Amino acid sequence: MRVYVLRRLLGIVPTVLMITFVVFVMMRSVPGDPVVALLGDAYDEQDAIKVRASYGLDQPILVQYAIWLGKLARGDWGVSYMTGRPVLKDVLVRLPVTLELIVLSMAVALAIAVPAAIIGALRQNTWADYTATTIAMIGVSIPEFFIGVLLLLVFSIGLGGLLPSSGWTYLPGTCPTMVCGASLWGNAQHVLLPAIALGVGRAAILTRLLRASMLEVIRTEYVTTARAKGLSERPVVLKHALKNALIPTVTVMGLQVGFLIGGAIVVETLFAMPGLGTFGIDAIIARDYQQVQGFALLTALAFVVMNLVVDLTYTFLDPRIRYA
Amino acid sequence: MAWPAPAERSESPLVQGLRRLRRSGTALVGVVIVVLLVTVAIFADVLAPQSPIASDQAHTFARPSWDHPLGTDQLGRDMLSRVIHGTRISLLVGVSSVLLALFVGVPFGMIAGFYGGRVDTLIMRVMDLILAFPIYLLAIILMVMFTPTAGLIGTMKVTGAIAIVRIPIYARLVRGSVLSIKEKEYVEACRALGVRDPWILFRHVLPNCLAPIIVTTTLGIATSIIVEATLSFLGLGTQPPTPSWGWDLKANISFIQANAWLSLFPGLAIFVTVLGFNLFGDGLRDALDPRLK
Repeated sequence: MRVYVLRRLLGIVPTVLMITFVVFVMMRSVPGDPVVALLGDAYDEQDAIKVRASYGLDQPILVQYAIWLGKLARGDWGVSYMTGRPVLKDVLVRLPVTLELIVLSMAVALAIAVPAAIIGALRQNTWADYTATTIAMIGVSIPEFFIGVLLLLVFSIGLGGLLPSSGWTYLPGTCPTMVCGASLWGNAQHVLLPAIALGVGRAAILTRLLRASMLEVIRTEYVTTARAKGLSERPVVLKHALKNALIPTVTVMGLQVGFLIGGAIVVETLFAMPGLGTFGIDAIIARDYQQVQGFALLTALAFVVMNLVVDLTYTFLDPRIRYA
Repeated sequence: MAWPAPAERSESPLVQGLRRLRRSGTALVGVVIVVLLVTVAIFADVLAPQSPIASDQAHTFARPSWDHPLGTDQLGRDMLSRVIHGTRISLLVGVSSVLLALFVGVPFGMIAGFYGGRVDTLIMRVMDLILAFPIYLLAIILMVMFTPTAGLIGTMKVTGAIAIVRIPIYARLVRGSVLSIKEKEYVEACRALGVRDPWILFRHVLPNCLAPIIVTTTLGIATSIIVEATLSFLGLGTQPPTPSWGWDLKANISFIQANAWLSLFPGLAIFVTVLGFNLFGDGLRDALDPRLK
């Protein structure tokens, strides 16, 4: 097991390198020159050449990538062309915002999906089941931003500004400057709508999968055995059925990580949150190569690590699965 | 001795599946929605009461009325006409990106699965490279590379970007099916008869992995429509003045306080479209491939 984890951890390196390299090459083939954007109206060919040289932009792409990698190995994520700030610092300020959003949205998803799926499976073809499956069908068909808009309409506009429609209050301890007011309550108010907007879609997908695999599992012999030996319904459902039904569900949730990252970008944009998603999309549109690299690196890392976590979850859910 | 009369040719699994599909109520709802949307898209010019791009500075932010059933936006453009014309972009991108991914992914998957060895490794490495990306990161960067524009060219760019990120899905799916099908006796029989590879692939292997392809395609259209709307929402889809639901929704959020309906209708349109394809796809899956349920 330990060898397997170690091997997988080592396997992360080439994948992440490959993703960052492809992003590096792609960004540099994007039409438009960041130096032109940087100099703006003061553009002058002489200055442009100097600026390009100072950022190493006059080098061949492979050399540029090697330089980026070399600096990265020393913990230097580069400096943004536009803001002049170190990329790592910006990324670290924004990471907690996005992490909070994703963790809470997954919590929302689980809180809705697990009970809905259990009810749907145990009471198959009843009104409770139809309601659960219909709502799940609607849930998978609504894009995050439209759920966000509906939430905005109800809770920010409809209920007289009950919850804020945009902006952010940092969690205590994550505030990047001295002046931003950080508070737990303010943070909760700001994160609630985005977390629901991002969580509902996941909840719908989870419900559908979990219900389907629960239906399979509750017909297996070991569930019948558990019931036959007089176990009460609760441990039968939660310990015997749910745990086994989770295995295929976890796989698909792992595949959903890519969509979750996209969802985070969209929800952060809609609610004007200072997270990694808005950071990334702004950087890509502004062609701030260094920031984009930082974003791609972190996203790739998150993506690969999540997939590893999913694989390792199997051993917990099903001890028969062993990785040699 | 008389030979028994040949039995009547049995129904193909596809026909049986379609028969099952007809009995599924939800799938029929999906079919109705899809047919309706396709009709709206085709006859958008006739159905839309006004031009979707003609602005009318005298009637900006008009509330829903007989003249403008869904109101007008900040440029005084008729929202109903924009929503109707938006159907075109959404369906065009949704369907054509999936077809494009299909036409590239399926042959690659068949070749990889059928021939195996180095060809397989090479093709699947490239597919894994694409799959290693979080889908939206790749789609967004591709769109920035292509530089989003308006009109048909802009729509084609979005189609291309979405197709690229979805090719590996088909390649993997088909490769998996082919791996099991190529071991079947009838393929061996074909080989023994000296049938050429392309003929075996298209006449004997492909028809037997059609069911999962059809299901994935229908559900894939729903996903592609969401990806298109999301790219548009981020400002990276087909550019204005071409009407696009995602863009319209985003553009009108600034005015949501006083004119809530402006963001509501494009959003509803996206929802109904995606729902239609999801219902249809779900029904197809249950009908064609009960194992996938």
